[in-house]
Amino acid sequence: MNEASLLKLNLGPQHPSTHGVLRLILELDGEKILSCKPDVGYLHRGMEKMAEKLSYIQYLPLVDRIDYLAGFFYSELLCRTVENALEIELSERVKIIRTIMLELNRIASHLLWIGAFLMDLGAVSPFFYTFREREIILKYFEKITGQRMMNNYFVFGGVRRDLFDTKDIEEFLSILPSKIKDYEKIIDRNPIFIQRTKNKGILDPETAINGGITGVNLRASGINFDLRKTDYLYKDYDFTPIVLDGKDAYSRYRARVLELSESSKIIKQALEKLKQNTELRQAPVKPIGFKLPEGEYYSQIEAPRGLASCYIKSTREEKPYRLKWRTGSYYSVNLLRKILKGTYLNDAIAIAGSLDIILPEVDK
Amino acid sequence: MFNKIFGLLTSMSTVFKHLFKKPVTLEYPEKKIIPPENFRGKPYVENCIKCMTCTKVCPTGAITIEENEFNINLNKCIFCGNCAYYCPVKAIKMSRDYELGVSNKEELNLVYDIKRGSDNV
Ligand code: SF4
Ligand code: SF4
Repeated sequence: MNEASLLKLNLGPQHPSTHGVLRLILELDGEKILSCKPDVGYLHRGMEKMAEKLSYIQYLPLVDRIDYLAGFFYSELLCRTVENALEIELSERVKIIRTIMLELNRIASHLLWIGAFLMDLGAVSPFFYTFREREIILKYFEKITGQRMMNNYFVFGGVRRDLFDTKDIEEFLSILPSKIKDYEKIIDRNPIFIQRTKNKGILDPETAINGGITGVNLRASGINFDLRKTDYLYKDYDFTPIVLDGKDAYSRYRARVLELSESSKIIKQALEKLKQNTELRQAPVKPIGFKLPEGEYYSQIEAPRGLASCYIKSTREEKPYRLKWRTGSYYSVNLLRKILKGTYLNDAIAIAGSLDIILPEVDK
Repeated sequence: MFNKIFGLLTSMSTVFKHLFKKPVTLEYPEKKIIPPENFRGKPYVENCIKCMTCTKVCPTGAITIEENEFNINLNKCIFCGNCAYYCPVKAIKMSRDYELGVSNKEELNLVYDIKRGSDNV
């Protein structure tokens, strides 16, 4: 094969299926991908550097923007790290409210992904159906937190205001199973969808672990690793992590659909508990002169796109000395180098889409 | 083969059923949307005691306080609600106003009188 027959192709940065701005530099021999080089950084906002300039309280509203589809998780992470450092004990109701919001956010995020993934593959109608359901969740978020996406709902030691109305959510949970059935009817047995995803983008467990892949992508490769099982927020809930061993794009899709019902199971239990714990107790936080003791703090959570964690090094000042985020998508983007090699160009979109990459999370 | 056709048909029929449902979209500019009570829109200030807390919790530095004037620069504000949440006397309120389009950038610099709280833009 001579050099001249190779084609260099830029996929992105404005490609509709990159869910943000990701540029993939592909080297093609005909239709076959010989190498893939992801080029990230188009959405870099300096989230980590910004933390060093702002106090903890000032920084908290900004972290929702790390992953705008799952903002609650990053709020929770920062709150959790700070609460660990100050040894703040959360009241039971706060914990339940946080669990409800996190799981609703996970459902919203997965719903968006299902729609967007199908859109990548050329199916337009499921996009509208999943967005219709996601809208219910966002409306609820707006009602409780005041905004649809940048919720800024969690504060250190509590939540901004009580969860006062759960009727919408109960209603949503009751219609969700029928909607999931609808998706399954449209998508699961569709021969075009199956052909484009079955046995495409095989991610064997070893590559996944070596590549730092976590979350649904890892569980769809047959490894049972769900941080929620050990998380203190989810301690008293009964749920089973979804583990599938298809290893391909199709089982990654299935795993996310199954997770919808698993999450709604958690929310249902949480709503029950919410009725029994009516007292909302917030830990008092003084807005000025809020400091962490000297030391290093770390905490992690199972975000929709894999393990997310936050590291803070504090030198007893109002601002962190260093703050670092670990996000799931970053590792998924890196995996594209390996997973796209040797596949065909028309599968590249399906494979990249199936990893649920979101770019603000990668570029931070 | 039969299986495939059947799969396609079920997909189609589900999509077809949706054709006859009512639209779920909002006709926004024609019909105004009323946001919920807690909505974080344009901030208003009244009876401020000049404790300066809000200037210190605001992540973007949108708030400046002078002798008799309370300025919120909506060009910088991200509507996070930190100022309203941490204000000790609840002098700042996030309103439900969300249509903030103006033709001149300067108009987004809200100037409130500290005592009267009136918006003299
Ligand atoms: S809402 Fe947030 S950004 Fe806007 S003035 Fe208040 S604290 Fe500053
Ligand atoms: S608005 Fe509230 S927080 Fe800001 S200076 Fe006035 S009293 Fe203090």
